[in-house]
Amino acid sequence: MRKHKESSHLLPFILGGVVLYFLSGMVDELRVYQGASIAVYVVAIASIILLTGYSGQVSLGHGALMAIGAYAAAVFRIEFNLPIVLCFVVAVLVAAIGGALLGAAAARLSGPYLAGTTLALAISLPSLANEFAVLGGEQGLLFDVGSAPLSLGKEFTQYKWFFWIAALAALTSMWLLQNILRSRYGRNWRASRGNEVAAQLAGINTARSKILAFTISAGIAGLAGALLSMTIGTVSPSAFPLNLSFSLLTGAVLSGLSTLSGAMIGAVVLVAIPEIAEVVAERIGSSENITTNLPGLLVSALLVLTVLFVPNGPVEQHHARKAKKAAKKKELNILTKPSMEGNT
Amino acid sequence: MIQLLNTLLIGITSGGICALMAISMVLVWRSTRVINFAQSGMALLSTYFGYEAIVNLKSFWIALPVAMIGGALFAAFIEVVFMRLLVKHSSSGPIASVAPIIATLGLLGIIRAIVSMIWGGQDVRIVGPLSNDGFTIGGETLVFSPLKLLILISVIVLMLLLSILFQKTNLGLSLRAAAYAPEIARLSGIKVDLVRTLGWALAGAAGAVAGMFQTINANGYLSPYSIEFSILLVSGFIAAVIGGLESLVGAVIGGLVLGVSVSFILMYVSSSLGFIAPFIILLIVLFIRPQGIIGAKAARRA
Repeated sequence: MRKHKESSHLLPFILGGVVLYFLSGMVDELRVYQGASIAVYVVAIASIILLTGYSGQVSLGHGALMAIGAYAAAVFRIEFNLPIVLCFVVAVLVAAIGGALLGAAAARLSGPYLAGTTLALAISLPSLANEFAVLGGEQGLLFDVGSAPLSLGKEFTQYKWFFWIAALAALTSMWLLQNILRSRYGRNWRASRGNEVAAQLAGINTARSKILAFTISAGIAGLAGALLSMTIGTVSPSAFPLNLSFSLLTGAVLSGLSTLSGAMIGAVVLVAIPEIAEVVAERIGSSENITTNLPGLLVSALLVLTVLFVPNGPVEQHHARKAKKAAKKKELNILTKPSMEGNT
Repeated sequence: MIQLLNTLLIGITSGGICALMAISMVLVWRSTRVINFAQSGMALLSTYFGYEAIVNLKSFWIALPVAMIGGALFAAFIEVVFMRLLVKHSSSGPIASVAPIIATLGLLGIIRAIVSMIWGGQDVRIVGPLSNDGFTIGGETLVFSPLKLLILISVIVLMLLLSILFQKTNLGLSLRAAAYAPEIARLSGIKVDLVRTLGWALAGAAGAVAGMFQTINANGYLSPYSIEFSILLVSGFIAAVIGGLESLVGAVIGGLVLGVSVSFILMYVSSSLGFIAPFIILLIVLFIRPQGIIGAKAARRA
């Protein structure tokens, strides 16, 4: 019974893939590239939603974990000439190992301590690239996934190929995460987030469950990192700045930290904001200083406004409001029709 | 021997700056139970205030108090307008525990974007009041310079003033009381909200000094996305954690420990570990003594 229920969730993802396939044939190159970026952000944001929304741990260092995945993929591609699929698998595994180590430290920390520690990681880790020759220093490494196989047709452009790889990865990881979150592990995470002591009393090893969350989240982040560097074409320390970690967190908050399916919203917003900012800046005809900094301002302002006024994300907020209304209605019914009470 | 002295003095100077930043984080933590990741943005803005003052008034010694007052007013403004809203709106739901962290990060982004809108992305330069060329002792030139000596003395003076404020005045007493037990402090007639705002203002002033000194201690160049301020934020946080996050004395000790050990690692292990060394020190501290040098047990679970 349960097996059946889980596999039925595969259907929407396949349908989504089919819709995307036709969509990518209809729009121009720029939109296809943006579609690829959205898919990359979906993967990255999903990894944060899993960690922060479900397991209740904050990470400001997911940019660093993405860098680990990207470097792992690029190094294996260059040194061993692995097929591209295996490169992504390597990215997931290496980042997951990094995440497990970080998670072991993180399980001892809470809230602000964890945030500060991961922040320190985000600042310090990319500089390691300058320490080892194999990582290519400041200018980084090339990461070339090759062009699309000829069987897909001549008009199948490079960007479309990027989009396809990224979209496939996004759909797969969303499906995987969805199932993990519905499983025993997902339940354990939510339980430890809600009340750690109660979860421990119920027999959950909260430390182990937190480390597991960190490991899986890091693996997904590593995948996102490899995908990101695929769309850029290179892996370098400057591709993973502190701001990347921050905007991912923003995306996750905009999505609603505890709704995995909301990752889409955050990703679209992150990709759309620079365009919106451009339009706004053109409209008000402002100086260059304002134009270049408007996207950053909008992202941060959105982040703050969301935390202040829709702290649990638009989707969750909607559900909560509906539930509240329903509860009120019920209450009203009970008050006005006391005679009905006996029947129900 | 000269080299040892050199390393020690450089470490103490940068440690002193870290300690100021740590003090401002501890002050905010004690008054609102929030780690303020926007502290580096506030320090950045105050340093730009200082820069404007230097450009217009041509004196570092006027610019420093201008930056401090500007930083204090801005921090108070943030506390009144922003933090009170945050406490009111985001104290329930699944993200209640992470909301303040995310909100202060968003604030950091806003401040940096606005600063670069006003002053542009290019570097501006703040010149310190004294030369940053090292002292010469017996034919050998130290890295330790008159400017660094001045920074060191100013940091010590500021810390003495702060400790007098906290230990000897009524204001300090109410600050300590409001941090220790807000409800009881309120019952004994302390205006806790006002005191909280004052705590933020003090933190803003301390952060402003840290920002000014960090800038002239490095090379004087200032830009909105300068890595110096990210480092300042992280090292201030690490120093505060080493000191246990609750205690001002701890913050000072934490800053000095961090500054001196980083300085020694850079000198005797490898000069390219500048970014990674503080992180490793943080991990070591968290594993060996998670409650900090002075902090009480179980403070980590706050």
